[in-house]
Amino acid sequence: MSASACFHCALPVDPRDQYHVEIDGQQRTVCCPGCKAVAELIRDTGMSNYYAMRDAPQPGAGRPADDATEWQIYDREDMLAAFAESGDGTAEATIYVGGMYCAACSWLIETTMARVTGMVSADINPVTHRLRVSWNIDDIGLGGILATLANLGYDPQPLAPESAARPELLEQRAALKRLLVASLGMMQVMMFAVGLYAGDFQGMEPNMQLFLRWVSFAVTTPVVLYAARPFFRSAWRGVMARAPGMDLPVSIAVAAAYFGSTYMTITGGQTTWFDSVVMFVFFLTLGRFLEMRARHRSIDRSTALSNVLPNTVTRCGEDGQTTIPSSQLVAGDVVLVRPGESIAADGILVDGETAVDEALLTGEATPKSKSIGDPALAGSINLDSMIQLRVEATGSDTTLGTISRMSERARYARPTYVQIADRIASYIVVAILIVAAAVGTFWYITAPDRAFVVTLSVLVVTCPCALALATPAAFAAAGTRLAQLRLLVTNGNAIEVLARSTRILFDKTGTVTRGTPVIEEIEVLDDKFDEKQCLRIAAALETVSTHPIASAFRASENDVTIHDQSVAVGNGVSGTIDNQVWRLGRASFAGAARAATVAAEAAPTNSATGVYLGVEGRLVARFSISDELREDAADTISHLAGLGLQVGLISGDGEAAVQHTAGKLGIADYHANCSPEDKLEIIRTAQQNGETVIMVGDGINDAPVLAGADASIAPAHGALLAQTNADIVLVGDALQPLLLGILLAKQTIRVVKQNLSWAIVYNAAALPLAALGYVPPWAAAIGMSASSLIVVLNALRISRFGAP
Amino acid sequence: MNVLYFLIPLALLLLAGAVWAFFWAVGSGQFDDLETPAVRIIMDDDTKPPETPDT
Repeated sequence: MSASACFHCALPVDPRDQYHVEIDGQQRTVCCPGCKAVAELIRDTGMSNYYAMRDAPQPGAGRPADDATEWQIYDREDMLAAFAESGDGTAEATIYVGGMYCAACSWLIETTMARVTGMVSADINPVTHRLRVSWNIDDIGLGGILATLANLGYDPQPLAPESAARPELLEQRAALKRLLVASLGMMQVMMFAVGLYAGDFQGMEPNMQLFLRWVSFAVTTPVVLYAARPFFRSAWRGVMARAPGMDLPVSIAVAAAYFGSTYMTITGGQTTWFDSVVMFVFFLTLGRFLEMRARHRSIDRSTALSNVLPNTVTRCGEDGQTTIPSSQLVAGDVVLVRPGESIAADGILVDGETAVDEALLTGEATPKSKSIGDPALAGSINLDSMIQLRVEATGSDTTLGTISRMSERARYARPTYVQIADRIASYIVVAILIVAAAVGTFWYITAPDRAFVVTLSVLVVTCPCALALATPAAFAAAGTRLAQLRLLVTNGNAIEVLARSTRILFDKTGTVTRGTPVIEEIEVLDDKFDEKQCLRIAAALETVSTHPIASAFRASENDVTIHDQSVAVGNGVSGTIDNQVWRLGRASFAGAARAATVAAEAAPTNSATGVYLGVEGRLVARFSISDELREDAADTISHLAGLGLQVGLISGDGEAAVQHTAGKLGIADYHANCSPEDKLEIIRTAQQNGETVIMVGDGINDAPVLAGADASIAPAHGALLAQTNADIVLVGDALQPLLLGILLAKQTIRVVKQNLSWAIVYNAAALPLAALGYVPPWAAAIGMSASSLIVVLNALRISRFGAP
Repeated sequence: MNVLYFLIPLALLLLAGAVWAFFWAVGSGQFDDLETPAVRIIMDDDTKPPETPDT
C-alpha cells in the first residue's frame, strides 16, 4: 500500500481532505469520515488485530456506504416475517454480507456479532459470505443487527429464508458421511489385505485367512452398500434412460469384485479383491466430493443475484407511502425510487424525469435519460431525481431475471469436458477384471498351482491408481497454484480449455480498463483561464452530481464558493459563482452558441467523452474523460499475443472509444457497439472456425456471452452474476495472472499427458509380464505404489509453477 | 496370534464408534463450514479493548 492509500479501505486519499486514526500507537491516514468511524470502532472494540490479519484489501472494500440506509424498518413485524424464521422468543436469519474479502473479515464480523446483546449465535461462511444469526427478539431487532454490520463498513442484505442454501448443505453432509465411510473402510481393509498378502508368502493358518477375509467382507459391505450407493443409483438411472453413463462400468466393477470376493470367501476360493473394491470406491468418492464442493461454490454465487435488487421498496398506495419487502410487490403497484436507489422491478415511469445507470444490464456506461412513459428495468440505478414507477414485472419475470435464466441455460447447454480420468479408470477396472479372469482361467487350465499367484499379480500390478490419479492430481495442484496466482477456478474443465485456447476476447469497460473514469486531458478554450482554475470550478459544480463522470472530478481540489447549484438531467450541472452562471456538461448545454465550431475544432482525436465547461454561454474548457486502462493491460496483452493467441476487444461502447482503447493496447481486432447477442455471435463464428475462445469480461449483460465462450474469466469486482458463470474469477486489480494462468494451464496439460503416458506404458509393460507369471505379487505391489507415487510427484511440480 | 480374533473385532467396534460419532457431528452441523476453522486458529480473540479510547 502506498502512503496515499486509505488505511481502512485502500482507496486513494485526497491529500487535501484526509483524516487520521491512531491504531496500535501509530497514526494512520484514512480517506473519509466514514472510514475513520469504522476504523475507530474496530480499534475501540479491541479488534485492531483485524488490520494485521487481513489480506491486502481491494480498494474500496469495507468503505461504509455514503448514504445510511434506514435499518430500523427491518425491525417491523412484516419485515421480520419476510426475512427471518422466528419462534420461542428467538429468530434466525441469513444475511448476505457484501464487502467481505478475507478471513479476517469473518473474524471481525463473528467477534463483533458475539458481543451484540441478545445474540444467541452468529456463524459466517467466508466463502459464501453468508452470516447465519440467531437472536432473542426481545433484546434486539433484525434492524439493529444489520446496522451493526453496516457500522463495520459492510453491506448487509438479509436473504429470504427459502434462498438460504439448504439442499446444498444436506448434499454436503451426505457426501461427507460417504467419504468418511469409504476412507475408514479403505484403511481397515488395506490393513487386512497386507496380512492376507503376507500370509500368501509366509503361510498362514487357514482359519486366520478365513477370519481376515470375513472381516474384510464385514468392512467392505457398508462401503459398497452405503458409500458407493450414488454410483449404483446413477448407473441404474442411466440404464433406465437407455443412456448408460460412466457410472455403469464403475458399478459393474464394484459389484463384480464385491460379489466375486464374497463368493470366494464363502467357498474358500484362492483370492479376494475386497481391497481393490474399497480403494476404488474411496478414490471415486473423493473425486465426487471435491467436484461437489466446486459446484456448490458456483450455486452460492448464483443465489447472490437477488442481492443486486433492493430488499425493500417504497409503495405509493391509497394509504400513502409504505415501505414493504420487495417480494410483496405485484404488477400494477406504484413505487417511489429515490436518487441513488436501484430499481426493484421492471416498470413504466409515471412521474418524474431522471437518468438511470443500466450498466448492469446493457453494459452501457453512459446513463440513459428517462421521462414519463419510458420503461425502466430492474437492476438499474436511479441517478438524478425522485421518480415513480408503475410495476410491470417482478422477480424472475424481469429483464434481469430473464438474463440470468438465459445464462443458466447457456451454462447447462455447454458441452462439458467430462471427467475423462473417471471414465478411463472405470473402463480399465472392467478390463482388468476380464483380463484377470481370462489369465486365471488360462493358468487354471495349464498350471493350476500357479493360477492364484499370477491372477493376484495381474490384479495388483494393473490397479488403475496411477491412471485414476494422473489427471485429478495434476488438476488439483493446478487449481491450488492458480488460486495463489489470484485466479480462482470454479470449473475444472477451464484449465484444459485455457491450455488449448487460440483466441482471447476482452470486454472493454471494467476489464481492460478500471471502470472508473478519470480526466485524461484538459483543453482550455478561453485564454482568461488556466487549467487549474477550470478544474476547480468544474469540481465545485460536480459536487451535486451523482453521475458516474462526476467521480472523475472528485479527486480535484474544490474550494470555490458556489450557489444555486442544479442538475439538468441528461445535460449537465450548473451553478452560480461570483454572480456568473457556470455550466458543465454537453457542449450544447455549456455554451450553445459556439458548440458547432468547437465540435469541429476538437475533432475526435481520441475517444474520450468530452465534458464542456461554460460561463454565461461561452465555452471555457473541454475535459476529456476516459476510463483509465489497467496498468499491466498493454503488457499482458502483448505477451498473450506472443504466445500465439489471437487477442480481440469487444465492447458495447462506441466505435471511437473502442478504437482508441484497442490502439493503446495494440489490439488490431476490435468490435464496437456490440449487443450481448453480437458478442455471442462473434464467439460462435470463431468457434465454428475451429477456434477455442476465452472470454474475459464482467457485467451482468456479459453473462450469456461468458457462458457461450469455451472458457470465461471475470474480474472479481464485476457484477456477482458474471462470476457465477465465469469458469475462473480473477482476483485483484492486475491482468498479469491471466498470462501466468494460461502458461500454467499449458504446463498442467503437459503434466497430465506425461502422467497418462507413464501410467499406460507402465500398465502395458507390466500386464503381459504379470500374465506370463514373471512378476511375483510383492514386485507387483511395489510397482503399483511406485507408479502412483511418480504420477503424484510429477503433478506436484505444478504447484511450484512460476515460483523463483 | 490367537489374540487377533479378539483384537480385530475390538478394532471394528471402535471403528463403528468413530463412524457413529462422525455421523452425529455432521448431523449437528459441525462440518457445514469447511473453510473458516482452518484460519480461525490464527486469530487472537483475547485482545481487550483499550482502557481509554482517545476518540
